[in-house]
Amino acid sequence: MTARAERAPWLTLKMREAMEAWIFLSPTLIGFLIFFVGPLIAVVVYSLSEWNLLSQQSTFVGLANYDDALFRNPDFWQVVRNSIVFAIGLVPLNMALALALALALSRRFPGVIFFRTVFFAPVVTSAVAWAIVWKFLLQGEAGFVNQMLAGIGIDGPNWLRHPDWAMVAVILTRVIKMVGLNMILYIAALQAIPRDYEAAARLEGASNWQIFRMIIWPLLGPTTLVIMVITTIGSFKVFDHIYLMTGGGPENGTLVLAFYIYQQGFQFFDVGYASALAMIMFVIVMTLTIVQLALRRRDT
Amino acid sequence: MKSVVKSITLSALALGMMSSALAAAELRFTVWTGNQAHLTMLNEIAESFKETHPEVTVRFETIPAGDYTQRLTFQLAGGNPPDAGWMMEDAASTFANAGVLENLAPALNAAEGYDLADFSEPAMGLWRGDDEVWGVPFSTSPFVIFYNKDMFDAAGLDDPLALAARGEWDMDKFQEVAKELTEANDAWGFEFKDGQGYDSRIMHALMPPIRAYGGDVWANQECGFDKPEAIAAVQQLHDMVFTDRSIVPPGENGDFFSGNAAMTINQISRASLMADAGFEWGIAPLPTGPGGEAPVIGQAAIVVFAAGRQKELAAEFVAHMTNEANVAKMAQFFPPARNSVLSSEAFTTSNNLIPAEQMEVVGEAIATGNVLPSHERSPQILAAMRPRVDALWRAEANVEDSLKAVCAAIQPLL
Repeated sequence: MTARAERAPWLTLKMREAMEAWIFLSPTLIGFLIFFVGPLIAVVVYSLSEWNLLSQQSTFVGLANYDDALFRNPDFWQVVRNSIVFAIGLVPLNMALALALALALSRRFPGVIFFRTVFFAPVVTSAVAWAIVWKFLLQGEAGFVNQMLAGIGIDGPNWLRHPDWAMVAVILTRVIKMVGLNMILYIAALQAIPRDYEAAARLEGASNWQIFRMIIWPLLGPTTLVIMVITTIGSFKVFDHIYLMTGGGPENGTLVLAFYIYQQGFQFFDVGYASALAMIMFVIVMTLTIVQLALRRRDT
Repeated sequence: MKSVVKSITLSALALGMMSSALAAAELRFTVWTGNQAHLTMLNEIAESFKETHPEVTVRFETIPAGDYTQRLTFQLAGGNPPDAGWMMEDAASTFANAGVLENLAPALNAAEGYDLADFSEPAMGLWRGDDEVWGVPFSTSPFVIFYNKDMFDAAGLDDPLALAARGEWDMDKFQEVAKELTEANDAWGFEFKDGQGYDSRIMHALMPPIRAYGGDVWANQECGFDKPEAIAAVQQLHDMVFTDRSIVPPGENGDFFSGNAAMTINQISRASLMADAGFEWGIAPLPTGPGGEAPVIGQAAIVVFAAGRQKELAAEFVAHMTNEANVAKMAQFFPPARNSVLSSEAFTTSNNLIPAEQMEVVGEAIATGNVLPSHERSPQILAAMRPRVDALWRAEANVEDSLKAVCAAIQPLL
């Protein structure tokens, strides 16, 4: 009868703690494995096959999809070029505007909440509504934008029907839509900078520009890095905006990577090829992120 | 004792429920219409199927037209196929060749009183193999001219129906009246189908004039865009857009149905939009050209999916849905492909928005028209065409060079 009480516990405290930790972690971990790691591995496997989504026929083709995309398909490089142009156009403009707005709106003054709301509202506006309204505003001659331009003597272009202007139009409308998010991040970072630094600099006779250049900008560094990374990734992944505004046209002028992948996979049903393109996009975005982090480390 | 009785009763009840569940069947049927009048009619047809199949209910599921083919593909690829559904003509070859459609010939031939030969031969062209039937067309809808009678009156012009009756309604006349209408009214002379002629309806914009000139976009695996007939036809459209400025140009809106354009090309299912138009309107045949009369037909069929779990039952329902009585019933919205219905008075009087003499235009076009082109690789061909056609729709574009570029892009895919 007493032998039972004397027996050592079958789990040590350490093992019990580990088990509890696993139990608490498991819901997230299982979700992560099923919904993130699983699909990621699947995409790698799919990219090595020629798989027609409709007929469900799949054959292993090795690296043929990559070979075709990188060395044989001229459209692919135009698409990559478009994605780079989109990112180069969008990222600096978005960040500069977000910073300017944040500097103006980080101080407290009457009506500041109203202005912050105005600039943040597009972020939470439906992408579909946003695109429809802008398509309407950007019509050739009858469009509001061109009528405004005509008012000041400028003959506006047919924005969404010229490949170069269409790219300008999608970049600008995307910047206006998303700048509020970065503005909020910058406002939070600016408000975290102790006021004493600025007061001390002023006592030393520093100008506004010197205060910004020597104190505020360096202290915003980590935030700037985060914003740069997420905005760059976002610009390479842009899909809905292009789909709704231009459908990749005109003349493939706004055909960017994410849209091209969608086209291959879901319009042409060529899932293998689309997966290979997705892997290439993954590598491009990953490389850019690593470069940005490395540059940041070198600066500090 | 009491508990034994109770458990026996419960078991009997459960068994009863199971057996009725086994007998009852539900067919899932995808459509792209959300129009209440269309759905009411479809549900009536489903209800009448109960006379021979009392245990079967049919659930119509609406998927918006723009996403239709794609969402259908996802359902098929995801192992959740509908039992049956509508299919557009441009997807026909792709789906039939992928082997996802069920051959309906056995079910149609077995159905009592079903006369498959009653369907017009050209209308069945897309949906027939050697001995197989991959779909039964329920809508064989020719493109017709919709015109704003008030605007013709304001410009002091005879309307297209009157011109057609006199044999004067050709492409040159079309260009001439479009220009005069633009000048006389504060509106565009002509709008491409649904205003999407430069985007998703490139084929719908280019096909009617090209066929009127006696050309085709492709035939026998050869591109037709760079042939003299197609070049002449597209040159005329280009002149109308950029020289006459009588067609709504790219990047502008000019909706016919809200009175911003005097003419458009569309199908009679759009007549439902005209009930509250606020202006006098009519429909007329497409203008003829050097190639004579060449009506263009948009088509949709009913198909059964081979991966469906109830495909035999679904095929029986398709036979019921496309029997003579039900085709006549559907004809008010969807012009039929059955010769017996087409030639009946019931068809010409079926649409209360369109007078019988104008419905005859529809009937004649079905009898003589050609269906829009389809191809196994339609999605790829359209994607390859699109940027080259974008380049065509610039004021300074050379039409011949642009069309040659279209052929260079699509020939390898044909």
